[in-house]
Amino acid sequence: MARLLEFDDVHQAFGDENVLRGISFGMDRTDVEVVIGPSGSGKSTLLRCVNRLTEFDAGDIRLNGESVTAMDVDALRRRVGMVFQGFNLFAHRTGRGNVTLGLTEVRDIPSGEARRIADENLARVGLSGQADSYPAELSGGQKQRVGIARALAMEPELLLFDEPTSALDPELIGEVLEVMRDLAEEGMTMLVVSHEMGFARSVADTVTFLDDGIVAERGPPEQLFEHPERDRTREFLGELDT
Amino acid sequence: MTDRRGRGVDVGDLPGARRLVLVGVGVLFWGWLLARWLHDWVLAPDVNTSDREPFVPPARLEAVAEQLHDLAAGAGAAAGLLEWLAGGVEFAAFGVDSMPALAAGAWITVYLTVLSILLGLMIAIPLAVARTYGGPVLRWIALSYTELIRGTPLLAQLFVLYFGLPTTRYIREFHGVGEGFVPYAAIWVAVIGFTINSSAYQAEYIRSALQSVDPGQLVAARSVGLSRLEGIRYVVLPQGLRYAIPGWTNELVYLVKYSSLAAFITVPELFRAARNIGSDTFRVLDIYLVAALFYLALVLTLSVAMSRFEAAVAIPGVGSASERD
Repeated sequence: MARLLEFDDVHQAFGDENVLRGISFGMDRTDVEVVIGPSGSGKSTLLRCVNRLTEFDAGDIRLNGESVTAMDVDALRRRVGMVFQGFNLFAHRTGRGNVTLGLTEVRDIPSGEARRIADENLARVGLSGQADSYPAELSGGQKQRVGIARALAMEPELLLFDEPTSALDPELIGEVLEVMRDLAEEGMTMLVVSHEMGFARSVADTVTFLDDGIVAERGPPEQLFEHPERDRTREFLGELDT
Repeated sequence: MTDRRGRGVDVGDLPGARRLVLVGVGVLFWGWLLARWLHDWVLAPDVNTSDREPFVPPARLEAVAEQLHDLAAGAGAAAGLLEWLAGGVEFAAFGVDSMPALAAGAWITVYLTVLSILLGLMIAIPLAVARTYGGPVLRWIALSYTELIRGTPLLAQLFVLYFGLPTTRYIREFHGVGEGFVPYAAIWVAVIGFTINSSAYQAEYIRSALQSVDPGQLVAARSVGLSRLEGIRYVVLPQGLRYAIPGWTNELVYLVKYSSLAAFITVPELFRAARNIGSDTFRVLDIYLVAALFYLALVLTLSVAMSRFEAAVAIPGVGSASERD
């Protein structure tokens, strides 16, 4: 059976800059994969190639064995949810409205039913009381949890997290990671770009260290964090510790 | 003096007494205007505009002015003041006398403005979207349209439509034009001209508003599975149009006054009504002063209405009324 997600020698350049230089790895259903690496290593680009917010130049990315480039892009995005570093909540819609838009317009669910699903997913991220609040009235952590609920409500096969806690004040990071931890336990397949090593260590099945557009090292967190094979990995992890 | 929105002070922000006066004047003006329109259309629909009688007979005011003049003759030191008062009353009498005709003109001005701004908006939104999100061809078409319209005089556009092209001939072929409440051809030419003209200006206001919407909003819409057009419709426009309200109000206020150019293609709107009275009575300064008060009342009303509207559709975090984060 085909793997849920497979990167096959993915290349991507912006002008002269080769951001991705041949990425290959795969993940299965219920896997939690955390991608780490220095800034500019291509982590976010890799993520955005999956739902084709960025179109890659060469190689292939397959979802359940089917090339994402062959799929209708809107259908692909409906199957692959995304959570952004900057939240990107629809500013003119309430917490609930953020969740229902995709339900009513993409999944063609009647508005009453969409409301029910939205409230269910908001409850799942602990925001039942904030359904009627606008993004400007929410804290960063609450915004990001609405972002997660918005992606979850589409019932995606795979959730992409693009540095979901990087824009948050330190005291707000915990509540978002807590939600992500719960999702992992429920069996959600997640591809996470993050600098939260604690989260990677305790939740990830596999950690990928991306450096200069290639997979420099990849393995279970205990191996990668405790016994990195490459000097570059050791160096990067060392920089984080200091 | 500007308020927190960086625009002029709203009537609603004024202190009690001044606000009360303005609201009182507004109620008086609109009460009279609506009563006038209703009277002229419903109660006396067959009377010629020039034969309509004012609600308050000007003769009474003229009599007061007469008495003041008499008083001034024997008042010695106070004569200047009394003469000045008499002049004021005479002006009021003249104003009252001309009001039925001006009310009829004001109706056409309101009509032209409201219809043109709304029809223009329907063209402006696709134009602005094409400029902001379209491909090279669409962008070029929208840009050419906008620059052609903004780069040529409105009066020239009206002349081309009215005198140059057979526009009126086509319009007259429509059933019912010029009958009952449906205005005649020249008014439709004016509506077409103002619609085209204001659409170009509105498109520019909306374009800059769309550009102030965070690009991440459309990215997020796309990531949920909405198409580009759906993302623009459901996410970008609801925010962008809110940002556009102050600029759009500006265009609305301009259009009220630019609608006076319709006078030059025979439309008897407010300005032409005033001009006609001026050439009949030779009291040019007086009649344009009265007409100016009409325009002022219309513009102030629209400003107040639009800031009410802006507040009514305001959403925390979106639009000019709040800080963006």
